[in-house]
Amino acid sequence: MRVMKNKKNLITQNTMIAYMLILPALLVFAIFMFYPLFYTAYLSFFDWNMIKPLKVFVGLDNYKALFSDPLMPLVIKNTVVYILILLILNCAAPYILAFILSFVVKKGRGFYKGAFFLPSVISLVVGSILYLWILNPVSGPAAVAAEFMGINIPIWSKTQGLVIVVLSIITTWKIFGYNFIVIFGGVTGVPQEIIEAAKIDNIPLYKIFFDIVLPMSSATGVYIFIMTIVQGLQYVFTPIKVVTQGGPDNASSNVIYDIYQEGFLLYHTGYASAMSIAAMVLFVILLVIEFRYVEKGIYYEN
Amino acid sequence: MKEIVFENVCKKYGKNTIIENLNFTVHSGERLILLGASGCGKSTTLRMIAGLEDITSGNLYMNGQRVNDIVSGKRNLSMVFQNYALYPHMTVTENIIYGLKIQKLPQAEIHARLTAALGKLELDGLENRKPKDLSGGQRQRVALARAVVKRSELLLLDEPLSNLDAQLRVHARKELVKIHQAYKQTFVYVTHDQVEAMTIGDRVAILDKGRLQVIDTPNNVYNRPANIFTAKFIGSPGMNIFKGSYSDHFLQLGKQSIKLSEAWSAYIGEKNCREFYFGIRPEHILLYREKHRDTFAGVVKYVEEYGSRRGIYFETEGSEVVAVTEASDFKPGSNIYFAADSDKLHIFDSKNKKNIGYPEVYHGNIYQYQSV
Amino acid sequence: MKIDSSLKWHVLLCIALFVSLMPIVFAISTSFKELSEAYGNVLGLIPHNPTMANYLRIFQELPLNQITLNTVIVAFAVTVFKIVTSVMAAYAFVYFNFKGKNLLYIILISTIFIPFTMTMIPNYLIISQIGLRNNIIGVILPQLSDATGIFLIRQAMRSIPLSFIEAARLEQAGIFHIMFGIVLPLAKPAVISTGIMFFINSWNEYVWPVLILKDTANYTLPLALQLFISSEGGTDFCVAMAVSVVTMIIPLGLYLIFQKYIISTFTSSGVKG
Repeated sequence: MRVMKNKKNLITQNTMIAYMLILPALLVFAIFMFYPLFYTAYLSFFDWNMIKPLKVFVGLDNYKALFSDPLMPLVIKNTVVYILILLILNCAAPYILAFILSFVVKKGRGFYKGAFFLPSVISLVVGSILYLWILNPVSGPAAVAAEFMGINIPIWSKTQGLVIVVLSIITTWKIFGYNFIVIFGGVTGVPQEIIEAAKIDNIPLYKIFFDIVLPMSSATGVYIFIMTIVQGLQYVFTPIKVVTQGGPDNASSNVIYDIYQEGFLLYHTGYASAMSIAAMVLFVILLVIEFRYVEKGIYYEN
Repeated sequence: MKEIVFENVCKKYGKNTIIENLNFTVHSGERLILLGASGCGKSTTLRMIAGLEDITSGNLYMNGQRVNDIVSGKRNLSMVFQNYALYPHMTVTENIIYGLKIQKLPQAEIHARLTAALGKLELDGLENRKPKDLSGGQRQRVALARAVVKRSELLLLDEPLSNLDAQLRVHARKELVKIHQAYKQTFVYVTHDQVEAMTIGDRVAILDKGRLQVIDTPNNVYNRPANIFTAKFIGSPGMNIFKGSYSDHFLQLGKQSIKLSEAWSAYIGEKNCREFYFGIRPEHILLYREKHRDTFAGVVKYVEEYGSRRGIYFETEGSEVVAVTEASDFKPGSNIYFAADSDKLHIFDSKNKKNIGYPEVYHGNIYQYQSV
Repeated sequence: MKIDSSLKWHVLLCIALFVSLMPIVFAISTSFKELSEAYGNVLGLIPHNPTMANYLRIFQELPLNQITLNTVIVAFAVTVFKIVTSVMAAYAFVYFNFKGKNLLYIILISTIFIPFTMTMIPNYLIISQIGLRNNIIGVILPQLSDATGIFLIRQAMRSIPLSFIEAARLEQAGIFHIMFGIVLPLAKPAVISTGIMFFINSWNEYVWPVLILKDTANYTLPLALQLFISSEGGTDFCVAMAVSVVTMIIPLGLYLIFQKYIISTFTSSGVKG
């Protein structure tokens, strides 16, 4: 009887310690993450400019306005194009390089990993300025080098479409290293023996990649796929702000920058909140995918 | 079927020499076992045959063609890995036929080979399972099936039974030999288990510290071990080895002497040498509780129980000797008297530690290999 | 034949590396060039007349010492707070069983996938309300709600064999002994690299400070950097590169020193355990 009671005390005591350990983290999350999320949802039902003492309840008007905003199709299109370019440069490309580095090339692994990761520790503001200079159509190194080959670099900052490509290059510079390292970790999780078994059977490299490595590292792959979208959208704010301010004619604006623009430049707080909540739908979908496939571990568990 | 020739093959990692000057031939269609303790270089040797390790120097030939620079996929061989290396996201069938599909074999041919392999390896009914839903023995058979459907001329096996429990291993040993008889590929098989080596191999190659110690039939490896290392390595417990000298029909071991047979006396007499190492297997030592003529005294230190037999470790004149007996009443601390069967001696050169051979009367004499 | 095929891949990898590292080399080189040379000798990596003038100019035009100090304070405070709370929370998630553990963990980790923009407006209101706008404490606070540390350190703690902990429990070691004597020393590489990455990320933080900081004297380095850019053209790129070098030198230095820890932590973070 006493033993039972002691055991129960021990359990509640342990639970208390556990909660105490989590409490500090939980507090900051409550104040600066969960409360703001709910408050954003709340604000999305009001017409407000952040300064006026009175918030006017407007129901779903902000959402209706969102769907009838003439700029919205362009903003969504920009966002989609940007994400597609980003996925090619930051999922497909590092996947292939990580595969080559882990199973084809035997020397210099540490060096390549360290060097590829390096740009991702540098400020995106720095990155934006570096590329502003390097891709400067008149006097930048890329333009000068291209001139030798008889190519002219177009004035991308004034060209629809191209400006998104440049923004993608800048965020890629920042994201690539992290993605590469994490994918490398996933790819090397495929046992060496499996690759050797395939080599003995004369399986061509691209088949090893698609039939064996890709499915066996798919948990990491999906994680990076999601992180590329999430981080890509988050990071692109900086180059847009520093380099283009959304121009020319909103050609480089996207969902994230538009929220900032509406909220902090035009003071349409309620409208910006409605946009945030609408964008949240995308992130919730990504989250569900993450927990469905990644946290479960898709194929290979040892 | 493939014949493999090693010619002065060396393997180095930086300054570490893993394999030193390997010279031997794997005959077409035979089952050759590479046997040795872990780290002896046996797996490296196998992987060099597979083309998974570069050869630092020397030449490797397959059917007369130098293959040093030929990649794995072009060597026409198949391999069973220690952990089987099954593709975890493919079913049993997909695992088995994946390589065949890449080779673009006709559908009917793939199907025929698959069906044959499934039947031969008792995998019927498991076709659509994933490796994680299979038992260890089933995985091992899938790995084997994947290797044999390729119908290559050479099958390499890297400790394929080491992840199975003991009972399954005995069964799998027989299966492996049957598979070989069905497909008749050249077999090169790596193991650290001497029972596996003796029961599966046509010939056994024993490696130690990257050097080939002996390559011979299981029978000879046990009965006529080429050198002291082999004598001690094979058999469990290994052979007792003593340093001693010979003079006039007698072996002098410390204060004790053993009378040799006429045949041995004549044989050693021709050798013009006095110093030798003498070896006798534990199962050829006779034990007594009482002193007899021509016995020596010792004290039992330790008894190892094998079930039907026992290993008796005893001390005599400061050295430890082990004998195997069916008697069960020797206890640690008790006195013991022993004699060596002089017909079953092995004698090694004191300098190069090689077997000096046997008198003619002992040729064809087979001491039964026993394992515990 | 084998050498050839691997050489081909090395060339590919080196081209990719060249593309990603060249901007940094150009930045350093241009920051030591005179303006005329920056436009005349664009591709030359070593300046003909190396000059410190660009660096001197930023010191004249900006309270750079103050700005650097601000950046250090913010990054340091954020790092210390996040590491301490992450270690504590990760420890609870790994070594304790309590009601709602998994749900709580999933909720916290989910926030990694929510861009800051989603919570930007209310955070701005909160910080304004408590009067911390245009104040570096206001820069610090919202950065603290970041779950990546909990994730990475939990991952590292989970890979510590449970037998170590059990052995300590058999010796009647208490929670503090186990935490500081066993778990933390073994999880050290992950804790260090997570801390370094916290520091670097906070050092580089731009979106949030740009919203709430007004006075140059309160700026952090990435904001100061932006002062030298004009979207209308006419940017003095030599000076801009000098500020860029100043901004990236600390993160680069930290990375180069702790590179091994950082790489191995992120390499293993992708492998789910």
